[in-house]
Amino acid sequence: MSEKTILEVKNLFKNYGTKGFQTNVLKGLNFAIHEHDFIAVMGPSGSGKTTLMNLLSTIDKPTQGAIFLEGKDLTKLKNKELSKIRKEKIGFIFQDYNLLDTMTLQDNIALPLSLNGVSSTECIQKVEHLAKAFGLKEHLKKYPYQLSGGQKQRGATCRALITEPKIIFADEPTGALDSKSSHDLLECLKQVNEKGQATILMVTHDTFSASYAKEVYILSDGTIKCKLTKGQSRKEFYDRIIEMQTSMGSDFS
Amino acid sequence: MSMFKLVFQNFKSSFKSYLSLILSLSFTTMILSNFINLVSSGILDQLGESQSQNIEIVIQTLSVVIACFMLFFVWYATNVFLTKRKKEIGIYVFMGLSNQKIGQLYMLETSLIGGVSLFLGVGFGILTSQLFTMILVKLSDIAIEIKFKFTISSVLITCMIFGIIYLIFVIKGYINIVRSSVLEMVSANKQNEYVKQNVIVLLFKSIIGVCFLGYGFYLAVKEAGMEVMGNVLIATVMVIVGIYMLFGGLIPFIFQRLAQNKRFLYKKERNLWVNRMIFRVKKNYRTYAMVCVLMLCSVTALGFGFAMKERSDQINHFENTYTYQIMSKEKGARQAFTSLIERKNKIKYSSEVEIAVIPNEYTDNVYKNTPYTLLSYSAAKKIAKETGLPFAYGEPKDNEFIELTHLYLMSFADEQIKTSHTINQTMYTSMEKTNEPYLGYMQEQMECMIVNDHVYQTLKPLAQCMYFYNFKLASANHFEQSVEDIQSSPFCDGLVKINPKRNENAWIQILFSVSFFVFLVFIFASGSILFMKIYNDAFEEKERYRILSKIGVDKKIQSKAITKELQIAYAIPLIIMTIASFFSLKALANVMLVPSLVTINIWSILISYVFFGLCYFASKAIYKKNIGL
Repeated sequence: MSEKTILEVKNLFKNYGTKGFQTNVLKGLNFAIHEHDFIAVMGPSGSGKTTLMNLLSTIDKPTQGAIFLEGKDLTKLKNKELSKIRKEKIGFIFQDYNLLDTMTLQDNIALPLSLNGVSSTECIQKVEHLAKAFGLKEHLKKYPYQLSGGQKQRGATCRALITEPKIIFADEPTGALDSKSSHDLLECLKQVNEKGQATILMVTHDTFSASYAKEVYILSDGTIKCKLTKGQSRKEFYDRIIEMQTSMGSDFS
Repeated sequence: MSMFKLVFQNFKSSFKSYLSLILSLSFTTMILSNFINLVSSGILDQLGESQSQNIEIVIQTLSVVIACFMLFFVWYATNVFLTKRKKEIGIYVFMGLSNQKIGQLYMLETSLIGGVSLFLGVGFGILTSQLFTMILVKLSDIAIEIKFKFTISSVLITCMIFGIIYLIFVIKGYINIVRSSVLEMVSANKQNEYVKQNVIVLLFKSIIGVCFLGYGFYLAVKEAGMEVMGNVLIATVMVIVGIYMLFGGLIPFIFQRLAQNKRFLYKKERNLWVNRMIFRVKKNYRTYAMVCVLMLCSVTALGFGFAMKERSDQINHFENTYTYQIMSKEKGARQAFTSLIERKNKIKYSSEVEIAVIPNEYTDNVYKNTPYTLLSYSAAKKIAKETGLPFAYGEPKDNEFIELTHLYLMSFADEQIKTSHTINQTMYTSMEKTNEPYLGYMQEQMECMIVNDHVYQTLKPLAQCMYFYNFKLASANHFEQSVEDIQSSPFCDGLVKINPKRNENAWIQILFSVSFFVFLVFIFASGSILFMKIYNDAFEEKERYRILSKIGVDKKIQSKAITKELQIAYAIPLIIMTIASFFSLKALANVMLVPSLVTINIWSILISYVFFGLCYFASKAIYKKNIGL
C-alpha cells in the first residue's frame, strides 16, 4: 500500500492475573493501519476486543510488544507525553457517548478544541461545519438529555473529529443505538472516512456495523483469525462476514 | 439484616460524609451550653449585682440568638439527610419496605446523628467550660476568679433546646417520607436535568433581588432616630431575601450569558468551569445564599464585637481623664489641693474650671436632676491646653453653644435634630458637638454647654457657680493614697476618684468576647456547610471527570478547571458578603454615633477571608481526592 502507516502493532501480548493463574488475553497481535483506513475489529465475547482497545488508546499497558503511532512507541512513553498524544492524535467514540451533561451539545463538541487553546472563532466555525455534516445543526443549543441516542452519538463523533486526530478509536459506537440511528451514524463515519478526513478503528460485535468498514479483522482467542476486505457492495461484504462467522462457529454477540 | 444493623451501617457511612456538619452542630451546641452555664454557674456574680445582671441579659439574648440559629441549622442538616435518604429510599421501596418502615429508618438514623452531635457538643462543653470562661475573661479584660463549675441545669437546658428542635425536624422528615409517593422517591435519585432556566424568570428574580438589597441597604444606613430598630429589622429581611434572589437570579443569569457568548467561552478551561458553575449554582443556590447570609452574620457579629471593644476602651479612657475630680464652692483652691496630693503622689496634669449651673426655673429643661451647666469658651480652651486634649472650635456666637457630650454605647436618638436650649427667654442653638472629655467623668453626669465669654458673664448672675479641680496622677493605681488628704481639706465639697481597674464597664467588655464566640459559631457553620456541599458534590462529579479523562483531557487541565470553579464558588458569597457587611456595619456605626467603622469592617472581613481561604484549600484537596485526581 502506498498510504502512510499511522498505527503499527507488533507482537502484542497482554496477560492478566498473577503468576500461575494467568489469562493470556492477547497472544501476539500484528497489524498495521494506514491513512484513510476504516477497520472494524470483530470477535466473540472474551476474544480480547476491549483489551486491544484499551491498549491502543493508552489506557492500559501491554505485557509485551510495541504499539507505534506515527513511528512513536506508545508503550515506552511517559504519562505526560501520552496525554499529549491522546489529546492531539487520538479521537475516541464510546458506546455510552460520554457527553458531559452539564453543557450543551455545541460546548461538548468544542471542548477538546478549546482546551487545546485554539482560538474561539476557529472553534465556533469548526463546530458548525461538523454539526452540519452530521445533521446536528438545529440541536447545538440542546443539552444531552434533550437529545436522542443517535444524536448523542453523532455529537460524540463530532467531538472526536474536531481536533482532526490521526486516528479514531470507536468502541462499540452503535452498541446502544437502534438500527436507524446506527445506520445514520455509520453513514456519517463512512463519509468522513471516504472524504479522507479520518482513519478509523472500530471495535464491534455487530456485523451490520462492521460491513460499513473497508476491512474487517476477526479476533478470536487473542489472535487475528482472518482479515476480510470489502468488495464491490456493502451487502456482499455483509454476507461474507456472516459466512465467516458461521464457519468459525462462535457467537459474536 | 435487622433494622438496627442497617441503621448503624447507614449511620457509619453518613457520619463520614457529614462530619463537617456534625462537628459544626456540636460546636454550636458547645457554645450554647457554655453560654447557659456561664449564667447559671454564678461565676459572674463576682462582678456585683448590677454588672452581672447586665451581662446575664447580654448572654441570655445571645443564647436566644444561638438557639434560633440552631433551629435553622438543624432544619438545614435534617433536610440534607432527608434528601440523601430519599435518594436511597427508591432502592428500599423496590425491596418491599413500606413508607412507614423507611420513615422509621430515617428517624432512627437521623436521631443517631443528632444524638452524637449533642453528646459531642455537651461533652466538650463540660470539658471546655473552664477554658471557655478563661478565654472569655481574658478577652474581655475583666477581673474575676475562674473556677471549674458546671451546672446540671445548663446541661439539661441545652439538651432540651437541642432535643426539641431536633425532634421537630426529625418528625417533619418522617411525615415527609411517609407521605411521599414511590415515584417521587425514585426520581429523587435522578440527577437534576433541568440546567438552563428561563431568562425572563432569571431577569425578574435579579431585578427583585437587586431592588430588595438596595432598599435593605438604604434602610440600614438611613438615619432615622427612634425608628432605627424597625428599619434594621426590615433591612435584615430585605437583605436576606435579596441575597436569595441574587443567587437564584442574577448569578445564574450572568453565567448563562457568559456561556452563551461562545467567543468568551471557548478559551481553555473556561468551557468547563463556566458550564459547571451554571449547573452548580442552579442546584445549590439556596445553600450558597444561606452560606452568604451566615457569612454576613459572622462578620457583623465580629464587627459588633470589635466596635464594642473599641467603644468600651474609649469610655474607659474618657472616664480616666482625671484620677480625682474635686468639687468645691471656693475659687482658687487648686494650689492647696496640689500640695495635699503631692504629699504622696505625683501629678501628671491638672486643671481648674468654673462652671455655672443654671436653676431649672430659668430654663426650658424638662429633666429635673440634670440642670443646664455652662462653661465659658475661654475656660474650655484653657482646660484643653492644660490637659493636652485637642480643641479646634471657633467661639460660639451670642445665640450659639457647643454641646459637650459624652460617648454613647448606642443611641437611637436622631442626629439630625438640632438641639436648642432656652435660658432666660433667649434661645441658644447647638453649633457643634464634642465628646472630648474636658470635664472627665463629670461630663457623663451633666448636660454641659460651652458658650462665649460674653454670654457666660451675662448669665452668671442667674447661676450657681461651682469649681472643679481635676487631677490626673502619674500612677493612677495609687488613687486611694491621697483620698484622706483631699477630704481633710475644708475646700472639698465632693470627690470623684477613679479606679483605673474598676469593673463598671465589664458588661460592655464582655460583649466583645461573646460576640466573638457568636462569630465563631456562624463562621464554622457557614464554612462547614460550604465544605460539605463541595465534599458531596465531588462524588457526583466523579463520573464527569472520568469522562474527561476518557476523552483524553489532561489531569492538569482538569485540575485547573477545578481550581477555577472552587475559587468562584467561594468568591461569590464572599464578595456579596463583603458588600453587604459594609452596610450592616454602617448601620451599627449609625446607632453608635460614629461616622464609620471602616477599619473594623476591614479587619472583620480579613479575618473571615483567612478562615474561608483555609476552607478553600481544604475543599480543593478533598475534592481532588474524591474525584480521584
